[in-house]
Amino acid sequence: MVNRAKIKELLNESACSHSKEKKPGEGCDKPKPGLAAGGCAFDGAQISLFPYADAVHLVHGPQTCLGASWETRETLSSYEGRDHTVMGFTTGIRTNDVIFGGDKRLEASIDFIMKEYAPEAIFVYSTCVTAMVGDDIDMTCKRGSEKHGVPVVPVHAPGFVGGKNLGSRLAGEAVLEHLIGTKEPEFTTPYDINLIGDYNVTGDMWQYLPLFEKIGIRVLSSLSGDGRVGSIRTAHRARLNVIVCAKSLITLCRKMKEQYGIPWISVSFYGKRDTAFAIREIVRALGDEKLIAKAEEVLTEEEEKLEARLKPYREMFAGKKAVLNTGGNKSWSIASGLQDLGIEVVATSIRKSTEDDIEKAKAYLGPNGVLMKAPAAEQAKVIDEKGADILLAGGRSLYTAIKKKISFIDVNQEKKVSYGGFEGLLNLAEDLKHAFNNPVFANVSEKAPWETVSMEAE
Amino acid sequence: MECNEVIALSRQEHKPLQVNPIKHSQPMGAALAFCGIRNCLPLMHAAQGCASYTKVFFTRHFNEPIPLYSTSVTDITAVLDGGDYSILLSIENITQKNKFAPELIGLHTTGLTETKGDDIRGVGMHIEIPYCYVNTPDFEGGMESGWALTAKALIDQHTKPQSHVRPNKILLLPHVSMSPLEVEKLKALCESFGFETCALPDLSSSMDGFFGEQQGKLAQGGIGIDEIEVLGNCGTVISVGSSMRIAAEALLAKNPRISHLHFDHLMGLKMSDNFIGALMEKRQIAPSPSVKRWRGRLQDAMLDTHFMIGSSRFVITGEPDMCVGIAELLQSVGGTIAAVVSTVYSPVLEIIEAERVFVGDLEDAKTYFKDADLVISNFHAERILHSNGEYHAGLLLRGFPNYEELGNQLRSDQLYEGGTCFLFEVANKLREVKHHG
Repeated sequence: MVNRAKIKELLNESACSHSKEKKPGEGCDKPKPGLAAGGCAFDGAQISLFPYADAVHLVHGPQTCLGASWETRETLSSYEGRDHTVMGFTTGIRTNDVIFGGDKRLEASIDFIMKEYAPEAIFVYSTCVTAMVGDDIDMTCKRGSEKHGVPVVPVHAPGFVGGKNLGSRLAGEAVLEHLIGTKEPEFTTPYDINLIGDYNVTGDMWQYLPLFEKIGIRVLSSLSGDGRVGSIRTAHRARLNVIVCAKSLITLCRKMKEQYGIPWISVSFYGKRDTAFAIREIVRALGDEKLIAKAEEVLTEEEEKLEARLKPYREMFAGKKAVLNTGGNKSWSIASGLQDLGIEVVATSIRKSTEDDIEKAKAYLGPNGVLMKAPAAEQAKVIDEKGADILLAGGRSLYTAIKKKISFIDVNQEKKVSYGGFEGLLNLAEDLKHAFNNPVFANVSEKAPWETVSMEAE
Repeated sequence: MECNEVIALSRQEHKPLQVNPIKHSQPMGAALAFCGIRNCLPLMHAAQGCASYTKVFFTRHFNEPIPLYSTSVTDITAVLDGGDYSILLSIENITQKNKFAPELIGLHTTGLTETKGDDIRGVGMHIEIPYCYVNTPDFEGGMESGWALTAKALIDQHTKPQSHVRPNKILLLPHVSMSPLEVEKLKALCESFGFETCALPDLSSSMDGFFGEQQGKLAQGGIGIDEIEVLGNCGTVISVGSSMRIAAEALLAKNPRISHLHFDHLMGLKMSDNFIGALMEKRQIAPSPSVKRWRGRLQDAMLDTHFMIGSSRFVITGEPDMCVGIAELLQSVGGTIAAVVSTVYSPVLEIIEAERVFVGDLEDAKTYFKDADLVISNFHAERILHSNGEYHAGLLLRGFPNYEELGNQLRSDQLYEGGTCFLFEVANKLREVKHHG
């Protein structure tokens, strides 16, 4: 069961940089009535674990929770068996389950899944209604696990306990409690790492994993991009935990350090500088001189190759200025990518950013960069003042770009290609090229005939 | 799963879970319905995730910003609050932050807030803005019923009783699967007969994909609450889709002199003839030349496509009111309906004459994909059909959600014109599958 003490502990993660400024008991993200916009804890938990392709993810709740969310994320998998990440499983409880409890339905569903799909594991997600009704999900999962001989893992992150970030932490708890340390790897190397918090959206991981391979860094397990339950069970044998962008799984990494002595570092793979920096951090943390030397060799070679491919774009983008209006780590990670391509980032949004993110944004944009607290109101003015050529923002800002007759990229739209790693930078460059060259923004902003044609009174 | 047993049409479920579900929840239908009311603030009484999922779902389907808020119920308010606190505070917070004045608060519940049993009617006494409440637990019904219950609630709670009618005034009650353009074309047809025409809900001017300075903060376009108040003087109410009967009945309760016309759907020659015949009887005038011309085109399209469609097998999945229309139109040109897999039970499913009609999910539907030529289903069928080369059937995307295709809001399958385009689209898809597969 989920208990208040655990939620409080997760909300007040001591390793979080912003926790210092908070009074005891103050949470990260207690939603304010009417103003909470993002996803719920269940959403966060599902995002964190769903990429495990060899497991079935069973949502124990009413229709909205899974009905509106399955097959919506481009988290790619190389799993050769039946890929469960593109499937949806829900108990879809009915009135009777609310009145009499949904345990029987859940048990029957677990049996059904094992009979028809025989996955390596089942994650069972509780939701607001089944948590409130008081279904004994722990017991049903335990019985299912004993009966079928595979892990049946209860994930207690009902939506109403908080936002996505907390849900992601709760998912980490479930993995730590039920999976990590339950199996030994076939072999280990001194260069084994766990990747934590990269979900391989549009294949982000695949942009930098080839570099790992060349250097000799081995990914023992992943939470959870292109992940397997079989390998996360062996995660306790890794030498290093590498958190990618996501702050939410810091708790998990801290606990793994306490329990298994595994150190952790936090990195990002957006843009050229960040990717190179991340790799240097990883090999330094692994502390093997030969590996460090190999990394330098590979990076030099790869950076040279990349430089050659970026050159034409840099020429094309020379003198271009961009305004960036997006949330969280994108406020600086995309800025970094744009700068790598020779574009000047004149402003970025810090509306939804953490203290860490703001610090980074400041560092990347320099003293003349504008950090927008209320981008919706500020961005039009900033575009005029700085003479920006392109706005990168969510769809709602498109109108601003059209009115200002500048190019536009919807950065919040479900992407089809990755912007991560070295290769991703080239994808970003291509998208920018098309945006700069596209006449649509100017064409759409033409006036209608009834705004221009004067009709003399007859 | 390869399901060998035949699943019967029933209100009872045939298995304990859904695998690759097609059903969507009642709250989602209610949220969309409130998007069709002018300057409405759709407020979901729920934890934040329900609204977030719904918003993303419709944003991707319509490619439009969706105005939708939630009361952000937490574990604490779930237990300690009877609804008053979170609902009233939400309205205060949202209106203050956005500095706007909604013309209506459209509040509806979810599984969570129904389980805790809030008195959402009572809260209304403390709200100064016009307020409409709907009970839409997501452990009952589906998207279609959530939409219909909202239309009914708006009439029940806001339409004033009247004793006189304006014979030339019509209210259309379109079912949830009708696109914004379909509603607009239907309204235009009625207007062409000289009727003063309203639609409830009215997505035709709110979700139609229109370039302008929209922030998606309140519902844009749509029918106004002032118009809903005086619907009691309609001469005629027309419900389209069996789910919408409850809304029509609610209006008749406001004024027994209103006459009610019901159509299960408006797809194909026969139903369009019935509809236009009814309008002609009311107005005693002939339809415009263009309507007559389109009838001729539909007749021609039926003949042109009958060979291709008449030799083909179809599987249809979706909301009941949509499935019944598509099945009937295809059958009118000789198509064989191998299976209709519906999201929820509805009495209208009983009249469909297909080889199989039942309530299920895509795991169930898959059994029938094998010897189908064309599957008419939502976005989720795409990967199942085309990922492993097991099936030869083509796919026509209809219903919710359609995440990938653009222009969903401007597609019309209804009446003579829509039916003509639909038949050609189907036949062309079949040609690709059968001759180039």
